[in-house]
Order: sequence, then C-alpha cells, then structure tokens
Amino acid sequence: MSHLTDEQLEEVIRGGPLKAGLEHLEHCAECKGRLAEKEALAGRLRSAFATIKPGEGLTERIRQQLNVGPRPLEHAHTIGFFNIRSHRREWSAIAAAAAVLIIGIPLIFYLGKPSSAAAAQAALVKIHENNLSVKHEFYSENDPEKLAEYFKGKLGFSPSMPRPGRGLALRGCCVAHFRGEIVGSYVVDTPEGVMSIVVVTDQPESLGMGGKFERGDWIFWKSYFAKCEMVTVRLGDYSYCAVGEISHKYLTELLVRLLPESQP
Amino acid sequence: MADKNEFETIAIPYLDSVFREAVALCQDRKKAEDLAQATFLKAFERFESFEKGSNCKAWLLTILRNKWVDQLRHKNVVGEVLAIEEEMIAEPQRNGETGWSDCQDLLESFSDEQVIHALKELPYEQRLSLFLIDVEQLSQKDVAEIMDVAVGTVKSRTSRARAILKKTLLSYAKDMGFIRGER
Repeated sequence: MSHLTDEQLEEVIRGGPLKAGLEHLEHCAECKGRLAEKEALAGRLRSAFATIKPGEGLTERIRQQLNVGPRPLEHAHTIGFFNIRSHRREWSAIAAAAAVLIIGIPLIFYLGKPSSAAAAQAALVKIHENNLSVKHEFYSENDPEKLAEYFKGKLGFSPSMPRPGRGLALRGCCVAHFRGEIVGSYVVDTPEGVMSIVVVTDQPESLGMGGKFERGDWIFWKSYFAKCEMVTVRLGDYSYCAVGEISHKYLTELLVRLLPESQP
Repeated sequence: MADKNEFETIAIPYLDSVFREAVALCQDRKKAEDLAQATFLKAFERFESFEKGSNCKAWLLTILRNKWVDQLRHKNVVGEVLAIEEEMIAEPQRNGETGWSDCQDLLESFSDEQVIHALKELPYEQRLSLFLIDVEQLSQKDVAEIMDVAVGTVKSRTSRARAILKKTLLSYAKDMGFIRGER
C-alpha cells in the first residue's frame, strides 16, 4: 500500500476532492498521523497571526490619504532657505518675492480639497521634506542665537528652540508658505531621527490634529500623515508642530524641552 | 475618479488581512504598515478596474504582493536569488520524518512571535504560499492567481514550506530544550 504524498495531504487539508485519499486515511495510521501534524501546524500558524492587528492610526492614515488623493504632498508650497550672508543684500528682492507669493497662492488652493485639515497636514509634511531635500537652499546654522536672529528678521519674532546637547543638534531653518502665510521652521537632529518644528499661528484643531493628550500642565495634539508623525503644542500665540518619522512619544519629549517651566 | 466612500466600504474591512500579509513579508511592523498603506492607495487608484462582487480580499493581497516584489526589485534582490533559494532547499525526505510525539503541545509551547519568526525564515515564495493557504485560508486557485503561478506550483510550494517550517520549529524546540537532540 503506497502512502499519500505530502501534496495529496495538502489537498485533504484544503478539503479538496480526494476521495481515494480519504479512504486511505481511514485505514492508515501513519498517513493519519502525518495529516494531523500538518493540520496542527496550520492551526498554530493561524493562531499566531490572529493577534496581529494594525496600529490604531493606520486606518485613519489611509483615510486621510484617500481624502487628499494619490499625490497629496504636491499641494504644499514652500519657498527656499536663505543664506544669512547674502540675505541682507537680497532682502528687498526676497520680501517682494514673498509678497508676490502670498498674493499668488490664494486660499482657493485649499478650498477645493475634501479636507482642509488633511491638506494642512500634507503641507506640514511637505515643509519637513523640503527641509531635508538637497534641492532646497538651506540656512545651515547650528547656533540658536543666529537662528533666532534669522527668524527675527524674517518673521518678526524668534520661536522657542530646544537647547542643543544631550543628543540634540540644530541643523538650520527656513521660512515657507503655509495656508497663505509665511511661517518658520527649523530642523533638529535627534538620536531617533530628524524632525522639523514648524511654527504656525493656526490652532492645533484647525490643523486636523485629532489625538489630544496632556503632559504635565500642557496639552498636546497628535496626528499622522504619510510616513510622518506629528505632535503639536500651543505656546503663546503659536502652534509648534513637530514633524518627522519619529514616534509621537519622542516628538512629545522634544516639544517638552521647548516649554517654559511656568504653566501655559 | 473612484468613489472614496464605496472604496472604503468595500476595501477597508480587509485591512487586517492586508496588514497580516505585510507582516509576513516585511522585516518589521513599521515597514508592514507602510506597505499596507501603499497597497490601499494603489488599490484606490485602480478601484475603477475592480470587478464589483469579485474577491476583494484576493485583489488587495495581489496588489500588496506585487507592490512588495516591486520594492524588492528596486533593491535588486529578486530574480536569480529566489530561483537559487528554491533549488537549494530540497523537499525534506519523508523516510525518517520526525514524528512529533506531542505535536499539539509542542506547538503551543512556542510564542506567536517565534512561530512568525520561523515562517519568516522561509524563502518568500514558499512563505507567502503557506501564509495565504493556512492563515488567510484562500483556495489554491486564488493563491495561484495572487502569485501568478500554476496551481501545481502552489501545492508543491505549500507542501515544501510546511515541511521546512516544521524543521525550523524543531530546531527552535531543541535549542530551548523542549525536546532532545535526536530525530
């Protein structure tokens, strides 16, 4: 009597039409044992994967991208970085260009989108991506005082920045267009990756930041877009949006370093 | 433009299956989430070509598999490497096949992570065949379509994969002292 082959047993496991095989199994203890073993292996594999579930945010991330469409990041616009040595000479030209851009990129750009919040997040991620792109000019400077001076000149104020050290290093900064306004952002190298902090006047809720949570006396908002995680905190008149392929937890830790010890 | 609401209604319920397949193929969870996300975006782009009423789960799993293969090709690791892998790993002999005296008990002594890790040690074609048959419980015909091979190839790959998975788990069991070193 010839035993069933492994492939025939596969047929039996799948409930395939193998009548002769089933008859053989009734009388052959060896094949019956082999079948039981294969079925046990299949069952264990199935149960191992039963606990595998996507993260809570994945469905939302997919939905957000469906809202924006297949090329969500093309809706954001940034203007380039400036070299601090040359920017004084070019200031009037830059200011004129910025003014033209403000007028030239109207809010209608976002009005046609199914979700302005998703478009806002796409724009924040695009600013971060441009910050890392070699194609964009970059004001490379790791001295917080020089960065502050730069921002003061461009934005009229100096955003809060983390103190370098303990694994953190400032890489540089830029100004970009966001919802028709010029906003500032700077880049921080961290042990877990590179992140941008984008400073905007918009309230976190209007940026579509859904997950609200508290840390000490401060309130934070979190979200995802594409591969990036985002955490936002409101400080004074500005929202500080930390963006990067870094966990929410770590982005929050970094934002905490920006905050004054006093209560909000 | 495809109807987003219709797409969400039909496709999103299969997110768990898509994600599981991504986990079976990718090295880590983060990459698996990225692959699952990319799969749904690609599926949305192609949704107008999806035949309503047909097997949406198999359709999504096909897109994921193709996307993953594209990624591998991009890294120049698909092609002859897979062919060599398949040739080198001969189907284990049945003579002297290890009989697990307490098969069920032994399998339960492994953690889920260990079982998944053992699966990931298989060459990808065998891994995917076994995963789709055992975990997603698709028919051999559906798996053949997903993997773009003949049904007979699915049968032989699945059978071979199961034998190698067993061998791998046995080696884990020996390492952990669950069984002695003899066959």
